Amino acid sequence: MKKSISAEWLKLRHSRIGLILIVMPILSLLIGSANYYFNQGALQHGWYSLWVQISLFYGEFFLPLLIAICCAYVCRLEHLNRNWNVVMTAPVSVASLFLAKLAVVSVLIFIVQVFFIILYFVAGQLLGLSSTFPIEAFGWSLRGWIASISIAAMQLGLSIRIRSFAAPIGISLSAVFLGLGMYVTNMGMFFPYSLLTIGIGALSQESLTGVENSLFLIMNLIFISAFSSFAIYRLQKNDVIQT
Amino acid sequence: MKALALEFFKLRRKWILVMTTLFLGAEMFWAFMSISKSMARNPDSTGWEAIIVTIASMNGLFLPIISAIVVSRICDMEHKGNTWKLLISTDVKRNHIYMAKYVCATTVLLYYIVLQTIAIAVYGIVVGIASPLPPSLMIQFIGGGIVTNFAIVALQQWVSLSIKNQAFALSLGMVGGFMGMTSDLFPVILRRIFIWSYYSGLSPVSYHFTNHSMEYVIQPMGAGALAIVLFMSIIFYFAGSFHVTRQEV
Repeated sequence: MKKSISAEWLKLRHSRIGLILIVMPILSLLIGSANYYFNQGALQHGWYSLWVQISLFYGEFFLPLLIAICCAYVCRLEHLNRNWNVVMTAPVSVASLFLAKLAVVSVLIFIVQVFFIILYFVAGQLLGLSSTFPIEAFGWSLRGWIASISIAAMQLGLSIRIRSFAAPIGISLSAVFLGLGMYVTNMGMFFPYSLLTIGIGALSQESLTGVENSLFLIMNLIFISAFSSFAIYRLQKNDVIQT
Repeated sequence: MKALALEFFKLRRKWILVMTTLFLGAEMFWAFMSISKSMARNPDSTGWEAIIVTIASMNGLFLPIISAIVVSRICDMEHKGNTWKLLISTDVKRNHIYMAKYVCATTVLLYYIVLQTIAIAVYGIVVGIASPLPPSLMIQFIGGGIVTNFAIVALQQWVSLSIKNQAFALSLGMVGGFMGMTSDLFPVILRRIFIWSYYSGLSPVSYHFTNHSMEYVIQPMGAGALAIVLFMSIIFYFAGSFHVTRQEV
């Protein structure tokens, strides 16, 4: 497993994926902060209002698409030059191959979340927010990351199955809207994309109760296990199709 | 013509029209939900203008991302299948293949815009908008969308074909969607530069807030804005074609 993870990191060398990972949070932050700056009269809740402005589009659109891009990216090399044949005949279990990819994507998204929190803090300081930094922001970010792993498990399954780089990202975009619909109809706990909305606190900053937090974690565990098991099963049972 | 027919032939099992229709369905569902809520809150703003302005601004988010996905799928199959050598060894010039891909992508997006216009008309009739469907506004809406697609597809195709790694092309699409969605917040000079802002910039209807209420304004298609978009389309297309046809395979 450790070797599989090292191999995945090795594949990302010189990939410049870091560039993509930092541009999206910066853009979300710039636009959100500008919006906050020009509407300070209406936005009275300091750090909380700033979080809404910067996390709304980041958490709703750009983070899910960023996860989809990362997942498609870590499968890209296998889809090229019939590399699936090489990977599937290597002395590595399919499960460790999938879990290594999931671990790498999770670490990448974790770095993005940490970077986003740092940007949030810097933006608040530059905008002159005098109140103390909300400790909940770490919770929003951490929960957002946990929900991101669920999405990554689903997207990885799709990206392994679909050769096209763009198609899983398109599916992710559609899932974002389905997730929004499920969140609005109070069924957010039953879909990974809505779990991200709940976790990151993009639309509501009210703290989750103990029960809700437990349900949130349980649902994420279920999604991660289910999507991973299904993807591993498909990899084990189905032939690799190289066209 | 043959090259174009072959581009469509290559797409026959890619489900690209189905995918485009599903995206359109997601956008229209969101837009119509939003418009219905807005109409329920403010019955005075019930009209074609409200529908057109909402959908034009949503196109600023959706169409750059969908364009990126469509163009990437059309271009990436050559990268993935290692077919460039095969293509350039045939009796077809590379710039003709480039043009065929461009026309193919813009046709798929034309399908999106036309279907969207039909959806707007059907929705307006279903919710019972009293005034008849304004043909001039709809033609300008279609025209603005098509012309903006010309520039965005040209840019995306350049990136998708010159950089094998499609993550960059799709990220550009995401950045474009972000710019398109927030374009109304930018100063005019930036709006003129960012091509993604023209979905709302060339929309036949715009709005501004007066005394906490939204007022819709009919705006004719500005010759200057139209000229800029067409100029950008030409620049992106020929720069991309020049660059890609001279790239070593």
